[in-house]
Amino acid sequence: MDKQIEELLSFYALDALNDEEKELVEAYLKEHPEARPQVEEMGNAVSALAYAVPPVDPSPRSKEALMRRVAADQRAASVTRNQHSQSRELKAGNIFQAFSMAVAIVAIVWAVILNTQLGQLRNEVLTLRNAIVAQASSLEQINQSVDQINAKLPQEIPSAVLTISLKGTDVQPQAQGQLIVDPNSESAVLVIAGLDQLEAGKTYQVWLIDGGTPVSAGLLTVDENGQGVFIVTSEEAIGSFNALGISIEPEGGSPQPTGDIVVLSEL
Amino acid sequence: MAPSKNATDVSMRINNESNVLHSQDDMGVEQLSDEVLAAQVARGESHALETLYDRYASTVLGISVKIMDDQAAAEDVLQETFWRVWRSAASYQSQRGSFTGWLFRIARNLAIDAYRRRNIRPRPITDVDDNDSKIDQTPDPSMDVAEQSQLLLNNKQVLSALATLPRMQRQVIEMAYYYGMTRQEIAEATGEALGTIHTRARLALQKLREELQRDEFED
Repeated sequence: MDKQIEELLSFYALDALNDEEKELVEAYLKEHPEARPQVEEMGNAVSALAYAVPPVDPSPRSKEALMRRVAADQRAASVTRNQHSQSRELKAGNIFQAFSMAVAIVAIVWAVILNTQLGQLRNEVLTLRNAIVAQASSLEQINQSVDQINAKLPQEIPSAVLTISLKGTDVQPQAQGQLIVDPNSESAVLVIAGLDQLEAGKTYQVWLIDGGTPVSAGLLTVDENGQGVFIVTSEEAIGSFNALGISIEPEGGSPQPTGDIVVLSEL
Repeated sequence: MAPSKNATDVSMRINNESNVLHSQDDMGVEQLSDEVLAAQVARGESHALETLYDRYASTVLGISVKIMDDQAAAEDVLQETFWRVWRSAASYQSQRGSFTGWLFRIARNLAIDAYRRRNIRPRPITDVDDNDSKIDQTPDPSMDVAEQSQLLLNNKQVLSALATLPRMQRQVIEMAYYYGMTRQEIAEATGEALGTIHTRARLALQKLREELQRDEFED
């Protein structure tokens, strides 16, 4: 055994070493457990020294004070255990509560979203209903208008309105137009385009021709583009004539065509 | 009193007695060993602490009074010693030694620390030797007859063993044990060489152990 350690062992057993020496011995004993029985035997002898002193009866107050302190410690420990237990329960409760709260929040949010969507759908339904009502109203109005129109049609619309195409002659082949006419009526609408601008002192004159005899239907004025709309009037029904012609005449018109015929079409 | 210090026996006894304790409720705590009671204290059973207190309070107070020479201050040490037992019983390992060895070491260290805090120099060792070799025969009412008898027997055996030691050897171990003096302090106080102090301490403990074994001392 190490000489220094051997010298320290007795005082180690007597618990009379400083901290540094104590650590030295304990490190040695850790490495040399075979030395421990020797130390324990010395320690037993040292323990016996306690019985060498005269025992002294303690005051009853010492025991009472000790046991009061112990009882207080037990109460504190009990409270601490309860608190820990409650804390654990509270923790579990908190987790459950938090989970429940989260579920409740999700449910509330979901309910709000659903409610909002429901409101939007209700609004859309209401809008669609209004639209349907409006359309139904419009449809009813349209139907009424149609009925009114249908009621009016026999009186105001000719039974057989014809649209007759008009074509230019070789003099002005670009000219063309339409004659909208009810053959039974004494008037018709002439729409013409492509006519040349006439020199001063000249005018276009419209003729209704019945069997080779032209009857003047009036003077036609065209704009700078050669377009013009003319209401054809006659003392007889338009349908009684078999052709329509337009000629170039001196200003003021002529009793019979005298100039070039620029449009001529059968009716 | 603890009947044996053999670590294995103690451990086995603790287990056996614990089983008995749990199976026989009518068994008095007074019959249990120190180690079993210490285990109960570690579990927070205050009646076990009370039993240990009744067994060893007078011895602990005797040690404290011996060291401090002040009974009021020693009573504080007594309370603190058993408070430490209450709070630290779980750290006691029966395999490392007897309960009384652990208990008395706590008391001794607390008393020495308290004594040093009060900055009172130790009494001269010559005063100690002559005055402390008498046993207090006052019966402790909290102890039963068997415990009192065992305590008296222990005291007689230890005093007899110490009486066999040469005075200078006894002086060294008493200065170390009761006053917490280091080997250097003892060498300085006695004017002896450090090596001489080492030898005296070693021989004193060896002789004391032999005498106690011869007398079949039981802690």
